[in-house]
Amino acid sequence: MAARVLVAAEKPEQLQGLAGLVKALGAEGEAVALLAAGREEAEKAAYSVFKTLYYVEGGGRLQPCQLHELLEGLYAEHSPVLVVGAATKNLTDALARLSARHNLPMFTEAVSIQLSGDEVTAVRQVLGGRARARLAAKAPAAATVNPAVYAEQAQGLAAGAELAGLRAPAAVLEETGYEPKKREAVDLESAEVVVGVGRGFRRKEDLAMAEELAQLLGGVVGASRPIVADYGWLSEDRWIGISGKKIRPKVYIAIGISGAPQHMAATVDSKIIVAINKDKNAPIFQYADYGVVADLYQFLPVLIKKLRERLGK
Amino acid sequence: MALNIAVLVKASLDPNMIRTRGDDVDTDSMPLAMSEYDKNAVEAGVQLKEKHGGRVVVVSALTWGPLAKRQREYEQVIREALAMGADEAHVVVDEALVPGDPLATSKALAALLEKLGGFDLVITGEASMDMISSQLGARIAALLGVPFISYARRLELGDGVVTAVRDLEDGYSTVRAKLPAVVSVTGEANKPRIPTLIQIRRAFRKPIKKYSLADLGIEAPSKPRLEELKVIQVKRKNIIIEAENLEQAAEKLIEALEREGVLPKA
Ligand SMILES: Cc1cc2nc3c(=O)[nH]c(=O)nc-3n(C[C@H](O)[C@H](O)[C@H](O)COP(=O)(O)OP(=O)(O)OC[C@H]3O[C@@H](n4cnc5c(N)ncnc54)[C@H](O)[C@@H]3O)c2cc1C
Repeated sequence: MAARVLVAAEKPEQLQGLAGLVKALGAEGEAVALLAAGREEAEKAAYSVFKTLYYVEGGGRLQPCQLHELLEGLYAEHSPVLVVGAATKNLTDALARLSARHNLPMFTEAVSIQLSGDEVTAVRQVLGGRARARLAAKAPAAATVNPAVYAEQAQGLAAGAELAGLRAPAAVLEETGYEPKKREAVDLESAEVVVGVGRGFRRKEDLAMAEELAQLLGGVVGASRPIVADYGWLSEDRWIGISGKKIRPKVYIAIGISGAPQHMAATVDSKIIVAINKDKNAPIFQYADYGVVADLYQFLPVLIKKLRERLGK
Repeated sequence: MALNIAVLVKASLDPNMIRTRGDDVDTDSMPLAMSEYDKNAVEAGVQLKEKHGGRVVVVSALTWGPLAKRQREYEQVIREALAMGADEAHVVVDEALVPGDPLATSKALAALLEKLGGFDLVITGEASMDMISSQLGARIAALLGVPFISYARRLELGDGVVTAVRDLEDGYSTVRAKLPAVVSVTGEANKPRIPTLIQIRRAFRKPIKKYSLADLGIEAPSKPRLEELKVIQVKRKNIIIEAENLEQAAEKLIEALEREGVLPKA
C-alpha cells in the first residue's frame, strides 16, 4: 500500500503541525503517520489527512534506534517519496539513519518543503540563522520540520485516521538511566515582552533582577544557550535560539548577551530589540534598535527603579 | 586499553563573518574556522586519550571552495585540532564534495574511516556551525554498521563499552553501547582547551594526509543542489543611547520604548 508521504512525531501535538504540512503539500489521504507513543495519545491526533496513524503498543519512550527500525518498516511498506519528522533530537537521529540506509538526501529543520513531480525543494536556515538556503533533490527525500511552522495550515483539522498499533522493536543500546528535565509553564513564544539573560550574569541569584524587570513589564525571562544548557540556571522552556525557542514579542530586552547569530536568529520577529551590554563592540548592538552600553549590575537597578516610577508600581 | 579514536572536524564557514554579493551569501570569500562543537569533539577525544592512552586521529572533508585557495585555511583548522592534542590528520579534498552535503560527505568520511580502519570510537560535534544539519554522525554510523549515540553531554569509556548521557528535550538519557561506536557530543560536553604556543608549534610536525575520492575508491556521490543562499536582512534602528549617567540612560530608554508603544500603560 503506497503512501506519498510518511510523517513521524514523538508527541501528538507535533502531529498537528505535520498534518498541516501534509495539507500544504496537497497530500491529504496520501499520507501515513507514525506516533512514537501509545494508543491513547494517538487518539488525540488521528487527523483525517492521514490514511493510517501508527502508534506504539504500550507506548513508552523510544530510542533513536527503535524509531529508526519502525521507520524502516513503514518505509518498506509504503515507499513514500517524502519522509518528514518533527525536528526533535531523536527523530533527527533516526531519520538520518534511515536516509543513510536508503541513500536519501535529508533537509534538517526545513522551514518550507515543496514537492513537484519527483523534485523535492526545501528551504532551510543556515549560517547560524543568518542565511536561507534553497536546496533541491530528486525524490525520495527526508526532512525534519518544526511543526509550529505549519500551525496555520493545521487549523480546523478533522479526525478520522485509521489507527494501527506497532510493536516496539528491541533497543540496540541499553538505557541505564533516565532523568526528566524540570519544566515550567512559561510560554516564551507568545510572550509580548521577553527579557533575555546571558553570560553577563555572574550568579544564578542575580537573575532575580531580570525577573523583576520582566514582571514589571508583564513579560517573561528567556535566556541564551549557556544559561540553560551549560549552567542549568533556567529550564529548557526559556532557551532562545536556533536550538531553543523562537520569540516574537513587542519588545525583547537582551541583557549580558553577546549577540551570537544562533541566538539572534530566533529573535528576528521581535518588534523592538533592546541590548544592554558593557562591551560597546558586542555584536548584539548591530541587531538592536536601542542599545545601552553599561554594566548590567549598575544599570538594571536604576532601570527598574525608573520603570517603577513611570508605571506607578 | 590503548584507544584508537577518530574525531570529525569541519572547516566551517564562520557565521559571524558573512560576506555578501547583493542578497547572496558569497561563500567563496567567507573565512573558514573550526566548527564550534567540533572543538568539543576534539576535546572529548583528547581527554579520553589522556585517561586511557592511545591516539586521536582527525578526520575531515573539505566542503567549501574554491579548493585552490582554501589549502592554508583548512590546514590551519586541522592544525588547531592537532595542537589541542590530536596526533595526526586525514582529509578528503575533492571538488565533488563542494559545496558540502551530509549525503555526500558522510560517504566520503565513512570510506576514509574504513580505509584507515580499526577505530574504537568516532566522535563528532552535535551539528556544524554553518549548515547545522546534525546528520553526519548518524549517517556514518549507519554506513559503518555500528551503534550511534547522539547529543552526548557526558562520555565515559570502560571495558569495551561507551557510556553516555544524552541531552534530550525532556530529559537526560544514559545509554551504553559496545565499541566500536560513533558518538556526537553537545557544546556542553566539556570546555575545549585553548592550545598553547608550544602546542601550536608542535602541531606543525604532525602529519596531515590528503585523499581524493579516487584514493578512497569511491565515485562522486550524488547530493542535493544548493540552488540559492540568501542572507536574511534584518533592519534595526541601531541607536546607542547616549547619556550623562545611568539615570538619564534609563529615562531615555523608557521614553524610547514608550514612543514605540511597547511599554504597558501606567
Ligand atoms: C550549532 C549551534 C547552535 C547554537 N544554538 C544556540 C541557541 O539556540 N541559543 C543560544 O543562545 N546560543 C546558541 N549557540 C551558542 C552561541 O554561539 C553563543 O555561544 C551563545 O549564544 C553565547 O551566549 P551569551 O551571549 O550568553 O554569552 P557570551 O557570548 O559569553 O556573551 C556574554 C556577554 O555579556 C556581556 N557582559 C559580561 N558582563 C557584563 C556585565 N556585567 N554587564 C553587561 N554585559 C556584560 C559581554 O560583553 C558579552 O557580550 C549555538 C551555537 C552553535 C554552534
